[in-house]
Amino acid sequence: MRISEFVEAAKKGNINIIEHTKKALKEAEKINEEYHYITAWADVEQQAEQLQKRQEEGNATGKLFGVLISVKDDMCVKGIESCASSAILKGYKPLFNATAVERCIREGAIILGKTVQDEFGFGTFGDKAGIGYKKPKNPVNKKHFPGGSSSGAGGLTKLADFPHLSLAESTGGSTAAPASFCGVIGITPTYGRVSRYGLIDYANSMDKICTMARTVEDAALLLEIISGQDEHDSTSAPEKVPQLTDIPANVNGIKIGIIKEAFEGADNHVRKQVLDAVYQLEQKGARKIEISLPITMKYGLAAYYVLAMCEASTNLAKYCGMRYGQHEKLSGNYNEYFSRVRTQYFGEEVKRRILLGTFARMAGYRDAFYTKAAQVRTKIIEEYNNVFSQVDVIITPTMPITAPTAEEVKKLTPLQHYLMDVITAPINLAGLPHINVPCGQHNEMPIGMLITGKHFAEAKIIQVAKAVENNE
Amino acid sequence: MNNFTTDVVIGLEIHVQLNTTTGLFCGCPIKPAEPNTATCPICLGHPGAKPLVNEKALEYGAKVALALGCKIAPTITFSRKTYFYPDLAKNFQITQFELPLGNNGHLVLDDGTIVRIERAHLEEDPGSIIRETESVLVDYNRSGVPLCEIVTGPDMHSPEQAREFMKKLLNILGYLGVYDPNTGIVKADANVSIKEKNYTRVEVKNITGFKEIERALQYEIQRQKSQDVKLETRGWDSEKGITHFMRNKETEADYGYIVEPDLPIFEISQDWIRSIQASIPELGEQRAARWVKDWKIDETDAKIIANNLDVADLFEKVAKKSKPIIVSRWFRRDILRQLNESKLELNDTKFNENNLAETINLVDTGGATQQVGSNIIQLLTLQDISPGDYVIETGLQQISDSNELKKLCVETITEHPKAVEDYKKGEENSLQFLVGQIMRKTKGTANAQKVKELFEGLLK
Repeated sequence: MRISEFVEAAKKGNINIIEHTKKALKEAEKINEEYHYITAWADVEQQAEQLQKRQEEGNATGKLFGVLISVKDDMCVKGIESCASSAILKGYKPLFNATAVERCIREGAIILGKTVQDEFGFGTFGDKAGIGYKKPKNPVNKKHFPGGSSSGAGGLTKLADFPHLSLAESTGGSTAAPASFCGVIGITPTYGRVSRYGLIDYANSMDKICTMARTVEDAALLLEIISGQDEHDSTSAPEKVPQLTDIPANVNGIKIGIIKEAFEGADNHVRKQVLDAVYQLEQKGARKIEISLPITMKYGLAAYYVLAMCEASTNLAKYCGMRYGQHEKLSGNYNEYFSRVRTQYFGEEVKRRILLGTFARMAGYRDAFYTKAAQVRTKIIEEYNNVFSQVDVIITPTMPITAPTAEEVKKLTPLQHYLMDVITAPINLAGLPHINVPCGQHNEMPIGMLITGKHFAEAKIIQVAKAVENNE
Repeated sequence: MNNFTTDVVIGLEIHVQLNTTTGLFCGCPIKPAEPNTATCPICLGHPGAKPLVNEKALEYGAKVALALGCKIAPTITFSRKTYFYPDLAKNFQITQFELPLGNNGHLVLDDGTIVRIERAHLEEDPGSIIRETESVLVDYNRSGVPLCEIVTGPDMHSPEQAREFMKKLLNILGYLGVYDPNTGIVKADANVSIKEKNYTRVEVKNITGFKEIERALQYEIQRQKSQDVKLETRGWDSEKGITHFMRNKETEADYGYIVEPDLPIFEISQDWIRSIQASIPELGEQRAARWVKDWKIDETDAKIIANNLDVADLFEKVAKKSKPIIVSRWFRRDILRQLNESKLELNDTKFNENNLAETINLVDTGGATQQVGSNIIQLLTLQDISPGDYVIETGLQQISDSNELKKLCVETITEHPKAVEDYKKGEENSLQFLVGQIMRKTKGTANAQKVKELFEGLLK
C-alpha cells in the first residue's frame, strides 16, 4: 500500500489508528531485537490515541496522518534522548523538535523513535555506533553491515512491513550508502533544501536531512513535506519547492551522463548491473552521454574529508561533560576534566577525525589544507555546473561494492575505508541532490544506482528514479 | 622588524558592548537577570541549535566602523575561533577573522597624531565566570551579547594619548547611540613596548575605561623600564594598581579559525552602507568645530559641551534663541555643573530650551543678576518654573535704579570705614568687598556693575 493510500484510509476511519500502531510497534520491537536499529522509543501509543481522537472528532488532517516515522538519532526530537549515537550525549533530551520532525508532526505523523547511526555520522558501513551501542545488522543478511551512517534508517525501512518512512541524514554519503547496502530508496536533497535546524552537526556546510522509503513516491512525499526555507536556519534555501509527488516515470529524451572513472573503480557485478539498468533506460528513450569530471574524481574525496573533519572538530568541541549529556565527578582543572570526559566517551573514529580536523586548520597547515580544500570545492561545483549544461542527470553506482561483512571490513585500512565514499563524497561536497535506487543483487546483497541532478533538480532525479524502479 | 622610533609604542584592542535589545545570534534579551535565566539553546550551544544574525548588531557595528572612517567589507562572513574554556558555551567563539566588517579607518588626536583603525568587527561575548572559594560558577546570561572589537595600529606614544583616544572613542560611541554608557562595558587590551627594551611587546589585558587605561599604561611603562621585559601577556589589577603575569606569548593558543558554516555570506550593498552613513549624526568634534567657526565660541567650551549628544542638542536649541557665546558660558559654568553635582542625566532634569533661554536672556537684558540666574538654573534641575514669573514673585528683579543703589552705597561706606580706607590706599580687593556687601543686602538683585561704578564715583 502506498503511504498516501494508507493516509486516506486512516483519515476516513477505515483503519483503527491505535490498534494499527500497537501492532506496528510490536513488529518494530521484534525487528529491533534482532537487528538493533532503534536507540530510543517515542511514546507511540499516546500519539496514536491523540490521532484516533482527532479522527473521531472529524479533525483528521495531514499528508502523513497515522504514518510512523523513524528519525535518525542526530535529529532533535523534543523530550526524547537524541545522541547522534554517541556515548558522550547519553541523557541529552532536546528542548525542541528539529524543523523536519516538526513538519512531519504537523502532517499527522507518529514519531516512532530514534534510529542508530555511526557516531556523529562518521562511518560508511554502519559499524561505528558509539561506545555502548549495539551494532546494527544488514536487513538482508545479518552477517553483513547495513551501511552508514544512517544505518538504522536503512535497515528499518527495508524490514518494516507497516507503513513507515524514515528521516535520514547525509554529510558525505550517509544516506546513499545504507540505502544501497540495504536495498531501499534514499533521497539526499540539495544542500539548503531542507532546514538543518535541530540537526546535531557533523559538517554544517554539507549536512542534509534526507528521506528513506521503500518506493520513490513515498520518499518523495516525505521530502516534499520537509522541504522549504526555515527562519531557524539561515542556510536554508529560499527556492520554491516544486511538487515532488505524482511525477510520471518518463525518461524519453533525458540525457544521462556517465562518468567512466566511477564505473572503473566498482566491482564487476556492481558495474554490470548498473550499466544494465542504464541500458533499460536507453530503451525507454533516454540518451547516454559520456562525461568527464577530472578535478572532481581526483580531488573530491580529499577535499571532502579535509573540510568535513575541520568543521566536525569544531562542532565536537562543545561536548565536554559540562552542560548536557554525560558528566563525571568534578576533579582537576577544567582542561583535565574536559579531556577525561572526551577521552572516555568519544569513540575511536571520532577522536581520529577531531585530531585530523584540528591539524588541518592550525596555523601553518591551514592554508595547505583547509583553505586549499575550500578552493577545490569551488572548482568542483563549477565542474559539475558545466556538466549539467550537457546532461540532465549523472548515473553512477552508489557504492563500489555490495554490503561487506565484518571480516571484509576488518581488512581495510582507514584510508581504504574513506575510499568507499569516492563517488558519494564529491556530490555531497557540491551539495547536489541524489537518489539511490536498487537495481539488482549480487549473492542476494542489494546493488544501488545513484542518480544525481543539478542543484534544486529533485523533481528530475525522482522522475528518472521512477523509471529505474519500473525496470524489469 | 619595525620602524618604531618613539620612546613608547602603544596599540589598543577595544571591546565595546553594543546596546542591542537581543543577542548577536539569538533572541535572548540583553538585560540584568538571575544567573542563567536569560539563555536559550542557541546561546547555550545546545546540539542542533543554529545561530541567526541579529541585523541590528550588524547595523550598529557598521555605524561604529563608518564613524571611525573605516571601509565596509563587500561581504560579511563570520568565523569560529576555537579554544576550550568553561564560559564559552560551544568551546568556540563566533567572531570575524579574514574579512572584518570595517577596516582602514583612523581617529585623529588633538595634537594631530593619526591613530589608524586596523579593523572593527563583530563577535559574541562569552558567559561570565564567578569565582568562589572552592569552585567556579558560570553564568551564561552574557553568552552571545554582541561586541564590537576595534583594533588600532601601534600609533600612540604615551598613556595620555591612549587616554585621549579612549575618551574620543567613547564620545563617538555615545553619539552613535550604539553603546549604553551606564550599563555597557568597554574593555581594552593594550599592547605596549618601549625603545630602551628594544620594543619587546607586552599585552596588558582587561582595562576598563579611559582613566584606567592611563593608569595601567603608566604603571606598565615604569615596570618595563625597571625590569627585564619578555614577550608576554599580563593582566591589569585596578584595585592594586599593578599588572601581573598571565602567560607567555609562546604558549598562546592557536585558534584554528574556520569560516562559520552555519551562517551564509552576507553581501553588503552600497545602498545599505549609504543608509547607515546617513543615520550617523554629526559627531561631537565636528559639531564643536562648527560652533567655533560659526559662533566664535571658545574652543574648550565647545568641546566640553559637545561631549554629550543630549547636552549638545539642547545647547544648539538654546543658542538659537539667544546669543551663542553667552549661552556657551552658561552651559559650561552652570548647566554642566548642575548635571555633575546632581548626578542626573539631562533627560531626568527639567531643563528645556525655553526655560534656559528665558533665564539667560533675563540676565542678559538686565532683568536679573548673574547670581539670580545661577540660582534659577539650580532650581530648574528639579522643577519647571517660569524664570520671569519667579523673579517677579520673589522680588528678585535686578535693582538698577541709581538713586536706590546710591543710598545703599552711602550706607555701606559708613558701615565699613576700614574697607574704605584700604581702598583709598589702593587695595582693589576692598572694592570687591564693598560690592559684596550690597549684593548681600539685596539678596543678589543689585546690578553689580552699576554698584561698582557708584562706589568708584563716591570714593574718588
